Amino acid sequence: MDVLGLKDSFSRIASYGDEVPLFFYSDLFIKHPEVRDLFPISMKTQREHLIGALAQIVAQVDRLEDLTVFVQGLGRDHRKFGAVAEHYEAVGDSLLATLAHFAGDTWTPELGADWAAAYGLVASTMIEAAKEDEASRPAFWRGTVLSCEQRAFDITVLQVRPEPRLDFLPGQSVAIESPRRPRLWRYYSIANAPREDGTLDFHVRLIDGGAVSMALTYGQEPGGSLRLGPPIGVLTLEATSGRDILMVAGSTGLAPLKALIEQVAARPAPPSVRLFFCARAAEGLYDLPSLEKMAAEHQWLTVVPVVSSELRSRGESGSVTDVVMRAGNWSGHDAYLAGPSEMVRDTAARLTSAGTPRSQIHIEDFGWSEP
Amino acid sequence: MTVAWQQEEKRLTPDEVQAVTFPLSRIGRRGFDEDHVRAFLQEVEREIVTLLNEKVSLWNEVERLRRRIITGMKQPGNNDGVLFGREDAHVHAVRILSNAQLTADRYVADAQAYSHRLTEEARNRRDEILNEAQQHADLVLEEASTRAREAALATLNAPVPNQMEADRSALKAELAYLRTFGEVYRTHLRAYTEGMLRSITEWERSEARTIDQASSEIGGSYDLGR
Repeated sequence: MDVLGLKDSFSRIASYGDEVPLFFYSDLFIKHPEVRDLFPISMKTQREHLIGALAQIVAQVDRLEDLTVFVQGLGRDHRKFGAVAEHYEAVGDSLLATLAHFAGDTWTPELGADWAAAYGLVASTMIEAAKEDEASRPAFWRGTVLSCEQRAFDITVLQVRPEPRLDFLPGQSVAIESPRRPRLWRYYSIANAPREDGTLDFHVRLIDGGAVSMALTYGQEPGGSLRLGPPIGVLTLEATSGRDILMVAGSTGLAPLKALIEQVAARPAPPSVRLFFCARAAEGLYDLPSLEKMAAEHQWLTVVPVVSSELRSRGESGSVTDVVMRAGNWSGHDAYLAGPSEMVRDTAARLTSAGTPRSQIHIEDFGWSEP
Repeated sequence: MTVAWQQEEKRLTPDEVQAVTFPLSRIGRRGFDEDHVRAFLQEVEREIVTLLNEKVSLWNEVERLRRRIITGMKQPGNNDGVLFGREDAHVHAVRILSNAQLTADRYVADAQAYSHRLTEEARNRRDEILNEAQQHADLVLEEASTRAREAALATLNAPVPNQMEADRSALKAELAYLRTFGEVYRTHLRAYTEGMLRSITEWERSEARTIDQASSEIGGSYDLGR
């Protein structure tokens, strides 16, 4: 396979920008109209994902090990979208047609054969990974909303019962699709450790203009159904470290950390846990009563509410990072951070420069996975 | 331009028709009248010339049309794309569908931007109202505590029981007024906030209705059951 030739032809084709995925999807939908149902109404994000994935595959085409991990993830990820083995051939046809179209007369039979071989490799790896995944779990779980409790103007707590039982590690997330927003998936952290009855809590914050969060907050009623993807995420408890724990939660970033606290509570000798729960206004500390109750039950748990902008508040005020750094020396702690990415980034940087090793700072990273 | 016709050299040309000779029939046997034969051959020659001319002009016309199609089908910015025939129809279809998709994308983006603006404005307005209410409440509390302090001082300084009685009833009236004022104020604030929440919920419901309606009109592409 002429790797340089592939890279060269891709970079030339990619210079046509959005026209390339636009042509690809139209070609696919004309030849296989039934596939259109697997995609959302607006295809804008979808097109960006396609070009992003292709670029990553082409960039790694000569580093097969990395590529395989990425492509296997893609294959597993596509199960919840309803992709099946037959779709891969259709996609391959349209992909080659698209590449040939944009390559113009630089397209040669040899180049075509190389592309076909490369795609064949990617497709078979994806199909293989999906098949393996199929043996252990469903493509998606059907969830029934048991309750939805509006805790603040813009925060709703949902309790969902998945069918069948969904096994996960505390701190992990699942992608959620609402029937009100077909084919749009968004990741939400599960806010509890696994329960006997299998129910899951989600803390949903209404994002201005957010398509899915709107459907999950104001549009949600008990009895409604949702679809849940498989659990993913690496913000899980490092149970064997023996170190005390610092947790910093911004708004609904509390969800995964609450799951970790529940997990810690089940251990025979829990380490000391200090949780800073931060919101813009006191009203945003939507789960404080439940946290204070836990703190009252468990001696090892301290909850510090932090409000970043308000005159009258129940807790500390100021930038959450400042409050955390003022509160002690965290270099010997395991730190778990979740919330707005800016807050997480700042806090991680300040902790690192104050002596907490990077390996002891745990933050969420979905890696390649795009819902 | 005539090169495309195959086996050109094996075909009858006007010159060959012109040059053809027939052996004379023996005397006394019946045969064609030589003049008639020659006249007919001339006619055949003319006919072939006409046909060949027509063929050349038709071939030119075909070439001209083909060039026009190729030029029309070239992608913007792609000077090498040479496409015609059935492929053309497909590329046309792809382009039509692509345009339709882009239009749909724009509609969704517009709706999303509009929703973004509305929620943002509602959120800001709500913060403003709550802030105002908070400030108002602070003022009311401050005033109440000032009055209470004044009343306490007045009681302490009151020398005559009669006067104290009068002051006490005045204070009671004052207290009752303050209590009512507080209640009315709280009721108003609650009604206002609830009204806001209701209208937000109502807005979401009507949005849901519109979307459900739209999806049932569009049909298959929104198959919710899947």
